[in-house]
Amino acid sequence: MPRVDTVIQNATIFDGIGHKLLHGSILLRDGKIIAVGPAIRAPAGTKIIDAHGGYLTPGLIDVHSHLGDFAAPYTLQDAKVSDVNEESDPNSAEVWALHSIRVQDPQFSRVRAAGVTTLQVLPGSSDLFGGRGVVLKNVPAVTVQQMEFPDAMPSLKMACGENPKYTFGQKGKFPSSEMGNVAGYREAWIAAAEYKRTWDDYYAKHDPTLAPPPRNLKLETLAAVLRGQILVDMHCYRADEMAIMIDVAKEFGYKINAFHHAVEAYKIVPLLKQNGVCVAVWADWWGFKVEAFDAIRTNAAFVDAGGGCVMLHSDAPISAEHLPQDAALILGAARRVGIDIPEEHAIEWLTINPAKSLRLDSRIGALEPGKNADVVLWSGDPFSVYSRATMVFLDGAVIYDRNDPAMQPISDFDVGQPAMEPPQ
Amino acid sequence: MSLSYGRSVWSSVLCLASICCHAQSLAITHATAYLHPGRPPLQNATILIVNGKIAAAGDSVPVPQGTRTIDAHHHMVTPGLMNSDSQLGLLETGTDDTSDSAVATGPFGAAFDVQYALNPNSTLLPVARADGLTRAMVMPTNSATPPFDGLGAVLCLSEGAGILDRPHAAVVATVGGMVAPASGGSRSAQWMLLRMALDASSAHLKRPVRNAPATSGPSATLLSPTNLAALTPVLERKIPLVVNASRESDLRQAIALVDDYKIRVVLVGADEGWRVAPLLASHNIPVVLDPYASTSATYDQTGARLDNAAILDRAGVTISFKAAFVHVSYNAGIAIREGAGIAVANGLPWAEALKALTTNPAVTWGIENHYGTLDAGKDADIVIWDGDPLEPSSAPTLVLIRGRQVSLETRQTLLEKRYRPALTANPLPPDYH
Repeated sequence: MPRVDTVIQNATIFDGIGHKLLHGSILLRDGKIIAVGPAIRAPAGTKIIDAHGGYLTPGLIDVHSHLGDFAAPYTLQDAKVSDVNEESDPNSAEVWALHSIRVQDPQFSRVRAAGVTTLQVLPGSSDLFGGRGVVLKNVPAVTVQQMEFPDAMPSLKMACGENPKYTFGQKGKFPSSEMGNVAGYREAWIAAAEYKRTWDDYYAKHDPTLAPPPRNLKLETLAAVLRGQILVDMHCYRADEMAIMIDVAKEFGYKINAFHHAVEAYKIVPLLKQNGVCVAVWADWWGFKVEAFDAIRTNAAFVDAGGGCVMLHSDAPISAEHLPQDAALILGAARRVGIDIPEEHAIEWLTINPAKSLRLDSRIGALEPGKNADVVLWSGDPFSVYSRATMVFLDGAVIYDRNDPAMQPISDFDVGQPAMEPPQ
Repeated sequence: MSLSYGRSVWSSVLCLASICCHAQSLAITHATAYLHPGRPPLQNATILIVNGKIAAAGDSVPVPQGTRTIDAHHHMVTPGLMNSDSQLGLLETGTDDTSDSAVATGPFGAAFDVQYALNPNSTLLPVARADGLTRAMVMPTNSATPPFDGLGAVLCLSEGAGILDRPHAAVVATVGGMVAPASGGSRSAQWMLLRMALDASSAHLKRPVRNAPATSGPSATLLSPTNLAALTPVLERKIPLVVNASRESDLRQAIALVDDYKIRVVLVGADEGWRVAPLLASHNIPVVLDPYASTSATYDQTGARLDNAAILDRAGVTISFKAAFVHVSYNAGIAIREGAGIAVANGLPWAEALKALTTNPAVTWGIENHYGTLDAGKDADIVIWDGDPLEPSSAPTLVLIRGRQVSLETRQTLLEKRYRPALTANPLPPDYH
């Protein structure tokens, strides 16, 4: 994407790492943030944008997305077989979400217009081991490789609870119970540990005449987890399940990076904190499954107030259009139980916290010098339902401009659709 | 200035108040009151409630001595909100044993009536109430005889057993690509079945026959006397036919029903409604829409756009709101409030958004004689807000339904109390908190 050095002036800045700056400016040069401060002199040749009191935040990071692997439009064929879950085996650790991404999913553009610049796309939760996730930059592209975040750490999606046991139990297959789920994880980790040992032995011998052990894609991913090279992002709802999963991780010597959905995280805040596990949550989803019955709107706030680490996620593709409003909903609910969380802190749930979870916090998630120039200019306070992203920058390039129809990219799917044209 | 009550009404109210116990009277004072959504608020208003009804509302309403008074402190006060498409009262956790909104087998089509399943102890109701919802349209989701889903009902979210406001508020049908397999594989069959049933019911109306027109075969249940009788009030224009549809071609078919059968139609979904907005207005077809719909979630929704609400409203269509996915019922209150805000962010005037949450659904579902504004004589469904109700951070500080203050406690707020961070040092488990 073409880019020009830019200064945005006269903005209220949430820097994504806890600060709020009134009447602030930011200088973007060569795709990086050069300076953030009260008064920045624009070097010659720099484009100057007056924010007129609008707000600036880092580009939002959606740490649990299914854009591209659960692409729109959903069809009756997807109801039978879907790209989001490999449902032939509860251990599908060999699959990569990368390979399911439909780059022309029209939802990428909607979410871009809502300020989301980075997405972690994960496989679904039908399996105990759903496969590898992928981190994408939300740039218009033709191939998924053009969207891949360079040098991002891979992740492994795992899932607790109802989804795996129903997916397979209903087919008369293993697992069909929660205890079956846990047995399934443990058996897989035993095999992974053995696979890792075989390869470690092979490497330790330094003997070029030896044939390498046979590769196994499932075990390769799991062994990489045991080596600390792949992060575990685990779909779990209930507190008791999360506690069990922490024990399983300890048994086999890996770490859970984050529990996703974690609707009962508020019940085990100290446990999560002790074990350094983040949670990625919705604001207000509850009740739609038995395991979601105890969800509360202050879940994120309670974890945050207890010193834990919180992120907000979309999960359902299009929810990512309203992530700051989800944060606002939580802030209101928290205020009513006596927890006052400032907006400049809450924005961290969508910026630096997911950046840390993805191990990308040296590059994204904050408006500070040296970071990638992923910046959103909002028409007003982003926590208000009435505010909208007016300009979105990624690596210093304008990827969306609400006031310039030429800078409102649409996917190929949206091209030539009479239903989207003005009526005759 | 006082609004919408005359001296005679006022004196009869005083009379009532003096005969009756003061416990049944209540006054809200210093309200920024949206007495008539769509119009500017009345500042410093007083709303007097007697026996569950609004007795008077205005800026110079005298409050009888001894009346319990609630000071709104100039906060916004609106009618209770209404969701136009939910399964409130019909489901709990999504398991089959707690879901009553659909039948897959049996004799029912248009006559499948959800009213007998309504559960006033559902844990969803307090959550919706605490978000300011006081009425909801409750829809069946499918019957054994597509394209009909059955008969919808209007819910009053009052506490206690009496939550049914209006049974048989509409006959509901669903058409479109995603449900076409149930009718053989084509939406054309859905429209043909719908018309067959309307024709048969119409013939039955003109010349009743004792026996069903068809006694066997696939059309037997569609055209059974019970199912045809359910369509009678539709043909008599007493209740509307609800058509769940998104694609323009289906919306035009629904419009054709109005021309051909002179019935009333309400469209639910209508993601491509903006494409036929003037026709919907000229045919008096209200639209219940999902203000979050921004993209082609299915092929039928290819034309979805966030300013659908704004375009329809500008054309004069009566709009109200629904939500999608888990939010349909579980977040039936907050989702349509925030959704209304999203519609405003995309061009709908704020005043029209409040109408779409109150007076518009009242008219759409035929309960405008007792709900939808804060006029004297209406049920006292009233909410005092701690902020702008269209902001997701706002919430009610007081909800009255039929004049009774309802609890704002929910399972969620009680769990919050058990697990609030200040209690983490408590040696007793949360079960004792």
